[in-house]
This record gives sequence, C-alpha cells and structure tokens, in this order.
Amino acid sequence: MAESEVITGFSPKGDVLVVAEQIQGELQPVTAELLGAGRILADKMERNLLCLIIGSNLGDLPRKMIEFGADTVYVADHPELKDYRTLTFRRVVCDFLESLPEPPHTTLLGSTTTGRDLAPRIAAHFDTGLTADCTELDIGPYEHKSKVDPTKIGLYPNCLYAIRPSFGESLKARILGPWKNPQMATTRPGVMIPLKPDPDRQGKIIPIPVNLQPDDYRLVVAETIREISKGVKLTEAEVIVSGGYGLGNADGFNLIRELAACFEHSAVGASRKVVDLGWIPYQHQVGQTGKTVRPKLYIACGISGAIQHRVGMSKSGLIIAINKDIDAPIFKFAHHGIVGDIYQIIPEMIRQFKQIKPEREVEAVVSTH
Amino acid sequence: MSSGYNIFVLVKQVPDQGSKAGINPDGTIDRARAKRMLNPFDRYALQAALHTKKMYGGTITAISMGPPPAVEVLLETLEHGVDRGYLLSDRRLAASDTLATAYALFKTLSYVGKADLIFCGLQTTDGDTAQVGPQLAERLGLPQVTYCEDFSIEDGKVHARRIIEGGTQKVITEMPILITVANSYHPLEYKSFRGAWRVQQLQRNPEELKKYIKTIDLDLIGADPDRTGLKGSPTIVAWTEKVGDIGGNCTMHEGSSPENLVAEVMKKTNVSEFLAV
Repeated sequence: MAESEVITGFSPKGDVLVVAEQIQGELQPVTAELLGAGRILADKMERNLLCLIIGSNLGDLPRKMIEFGADTVYVADHPELKDYRTLTFRRVVCDFLESLPEPPHTTLLGSTTTGRDLAPRIAAHFDTGLTADCTELDIGPYEHKSKVDPTKIGLYPNCLYAIRPSFGESLKARILGPWKNPQMATTRPGVMIPLKPDPDRQGKIIPIPVNLQPDDYRLVVAETIREISKGVKLTEAEVIVSGGYGLGNADGFNLIRELAACFEHSAVGASRKVVDLGWIPYQHQVGQTGKTVRPKLYIACGISGAIQHRVGMSKSGLIIAINKDIDAPIFKFAHHGIVGDIYQIIPEMIRQFKQIKPEREVEAVVSTH
Repeated sequence: MSSGYNIFVLVKQVPDQGSKAGINPDGTIDRARAKRMLNPFDRYALQAALHTKKMYGGTITAISMGPPPAVEVLLETLEHGVDRGYLLSDRRLAASDTLATAYALFKTLSYVGKADLIFCGLQTTDGDTAQVGPQLAERLGLPQVTYCEDFSIEDGKVHARRIIEGGTQKVITEMPILITVANSYHPLEYKSFRGAWRVQQLQRNPEELKKYIKTIDLDLIGADPDRTGLKGSPTIVAWTEKVGDIGGNCTMHEGSSPENLVAEVMKKTNVSEFLAV
C-alpha cells in the first residue's frame, strides 16, 4: 500500500445506549454511573443517549433515567420480566437492537452479576466486540495498520476506547473494536461519575413490545433473596481494614476484625488471594474482581498492593499500609507505610486506640457482611 | 437414570501470578518463562463436575484450548477423576479475543459430543472477563447459570443458587445447561492416590495416554480459521500504558519499635478522628 494512501474505515457515528439495571424496582447505582459516562460519549459524537429499561411495573423509573441524562428511554414492561433471567432479557435486548434503524455506536452495561451475564450473550448474538470491566471510556480516532486482515486496515475517526487494567500487569490496556457497531463495554460499579439528577430535564419515554418465545422459559426463577446486610456494607464504610496473604492464615482475620471494631462505620476488606484461599467470603474482596471502595480511611494489612487490589481502593482518602516487605508495591501508593510485623503492629495500634478512647468496649466481632 | 449425565468441564492454563518466575521488571508477563497453573476459578468448576458425577452418575470430559503445554491442566483434571480430555491446540488461535475463543470452543464442543451439563470457571485470572462462558452458551443456544454457588439435580432439572447484586437468586432450569461456578462454591477436593497413580502410569505410556487425552485442531473440528485468532476477533488491544504511581509520596515509618511506629502514624495523620466512641 502506498504511504500517501489513507483509507477511511467504517466508523459511522451512532447513538449511545445504556441498558439499565434494576432489581425488584430498585435502580442499581451502576445505571446512573453508566448514564453519566454515556452522556459524555454521546455529547462528543453529538448524538443521543438512549436507555433501555426492562422489568415489570417500572413506575417512574423511566423518568429517572431522563433525570440522570438519557434523551430517550425505551421501556420493556411486562409481568414475565419481573425477575432478571438471561434468556428473557436477552430476547428483549436483541429484539430491540434489531428494531432500530441503525445499531447504536456504543452499548454499555454494568459489570454486575446481571451485566456480566447478559452483555456477552448480546455481543455473541451480534458478533460484535465486548470489553469487560472498564474503568475509563472515551471516543477517539484509531488507525489500524496490521496487515493480518487487510479488510480491517484504515483510519477510524470515532472509536469507543474501552480502557481497563490489564491483568497481573501494571498496565492499562485500551481495547478497540471499531469494525462493527454496537461497540460494547461493561463498566465497573463505583467508577464512573453519575450526573446530579435534574428533575427539569426533558426526554422521550417510549414503550416497546415484548415478544418472548417458548424457549426463553427454559429457566425459571424460584426465589429472589435480598440480603439485609448486618453491619456496614463495604462500599458504604467510612473506614475499611483489609487483610491479605501476609496474615498467614484465616485466623488472622480475627485481628483485622478487632482493629476494624475500633472505628465508627467500619468494615472488613480482603485481597483476592485470601478470598481465593477461602480465608474470608467473596463479599469482602476489594479490587478488580471485587468491590471498588472509597472510604475516608483504608488500612491495608499484609497486602502487597498488586494492581488488581489498587484499582479497587486507590481513591481512598487516607491509605495506611502495614507490611514487613519494604519493597511491597503498596508502599508506592499508600500515604503512610509502616514496615513491620502485622502481629506486632496491629495489637499495638489497638492498644493505643484504646488509650484514646478508654471508655469504649471493643465489640468482639464486626459483622461479616 | 441409565448411564448418567454427560458432563463437560472447561479448563484453562494461566500464568501463575503468585510466582515471580517470568514476571518482567516492568510488570508484564513473559508467558514462555512464567510458571503455569490451572486457572484457580476452574478448580470450582472441576469440583462441580466431580460432585455431579459422584451424586448423579455420568462421565466427565475436560476441554481446554491453548498451546501444547496446556495438556498439563488436562492431566491434572484426570488426577482428580475426570474420565477424558480434549485439547484444542492450533497456532491460528493465537490472539483470539473472547468472541473468537467462544466460537472455537463451540466448534470443539460440537465435535466432542452432546453435553447435559457444561461447567466453566467464573472467569480466568489472566483475562478476568467472565465473558467466554455466556458467549459459548449463546453459540450453543443454551440457558445458563452464572455465578452459581450451589446446585442439585431433581427430577431431571437443575436447581441452582446464583449470586445477584446484594443477594441470591434460586433458579430451576432444564438441561442442557451451561453453568459458571462462583468461587463461593465448595473448594476442589484433594486428588486421590489412585488418580495420581493412574496418570503417572499413563504418562509412561504415550500410546495409552492418547486414548484419554486427545489433541485436536481447527481442521479436525471443522472450524473456520477466519473466525478465530486475530482475524476472527472483533476487538484488539490497541495500546497499553504503564499505570503511574498513585499518591506517590508514601511517608515511610520503619526501624523503630512497634510502639513508636504506631505513635508516629497517629501523630502525623487524622486516624484518631475515625475512632468509635
């Protein structure tokens, strides 16, 4: 190919679609976050932000989507859509996308248990690209030069930049798939910034038909159990004390709980490694595949600070790390680092904390949820 | 129940990120030098498959896709009691994204046979997308249960509990079904002496081993090479950048007694403001 020849590849603009998520009428926070992020992408391309909401008796939820930034809200409201089910929801989303005159440029879902269940089905059905667990999204140009597939060569002015930490590596990867719309991504809950809801915002609400097929009923939901969490939720805690592999064993979490109990509105976190080892349940996991948290105070005990963990807690107000390995990566981004044995440092912390608040009785156990 | 269920379990070999071998100073992985291991999430899928066989009867086939060394993870599943394994290995699969991987696995499963239950790990530790399972289910036209924590089979139907945001969902589904198993499911039991001994014997006898572990390629399973590898992948990693250090200025406290270290931190931070009254 001659150097001067520039092929402009397929890269039409299109609208941005957010697939909303609600459980039993309760809007999931990731939806407002997706609308915030989607609004920015749509504005960059001067296109509309669409939202598809699926459920039964949705009431004023569609209106809320407009307040959070959507221009047009499509509503699939049907008694059979009360509970999330892969096949029924998949049917609604696929039918809806096929009914549009042009596919959206970008389609976004949350990296939740629902979004991660549904998004890959949609992407596989349309043979389009999907990037999981993004922490940043943007629109920009891309020139594809690789000659592996000559049909893909070209300059693409409007691509979805789906950005995510690349696993086990201290790298951020920008993943693109401008060759086919919709370009799909799921985003991590707690990362994108929602707009402040504006009750005066105008938009359209359009009901859409629901045509479920007999095959869609191969799975039925017998029961949905919402846990009423005892104690403070990890994502809402002001103080998080987290334990890692440096604890040496599962019993080490007793000390972590004891330290957490010294604080108001506190919760216990954990690194992925110890969750994988079964030392503590998954609900406590902070990081890429766990929860993203932003407490005012984060105390990391025996956590090395791999990128996976860092992306889940680096925005905490004050990070104090305790680790006996002075080379641990956590000391590169903590605000205060204590080099020492956690089994000496933590009891000493508890002792000094009690001296400040001597009247207080330390609760034996902080809730495990 | 006649001959029991046809159970498939999908496994992947991943770099061992806990080992320092093959980890470059800049944090990238040198896959050729890195220690290899069975994807930790797949251990739960394997346990689910073994449990199903033990409780309800059947045959377990392990399926993997990867370069030739990936045969190691199939051997590991045999040690745990899996009956046979298939490794899809083909240079044309290199750089497959999740969609291209799901296509290749779909063709593999269609070649190997008809399953009643397909177990996958929730995700892998080297990709962490959790996409391949559902994408494969879509290709197969099957229902799925992702984030499965527990399950039983009653009257030919699978009763499963899956994690949802802030709770759980109990579902009842027909078979065939694809299940991705959460890491809150039962951990993998230790391999038996008999299983380990059997694999040891098989490794001494390559001809006999071939009866239990078959290596297959795209031509054999009738897959379209253009739908796999870089060519068949709708996404590419356009570029990567090193994640800068956040915060950066960590104040270090070291070389003193625990009492002094803690006192120093207390003095320099507002930690005491958060203490419970």
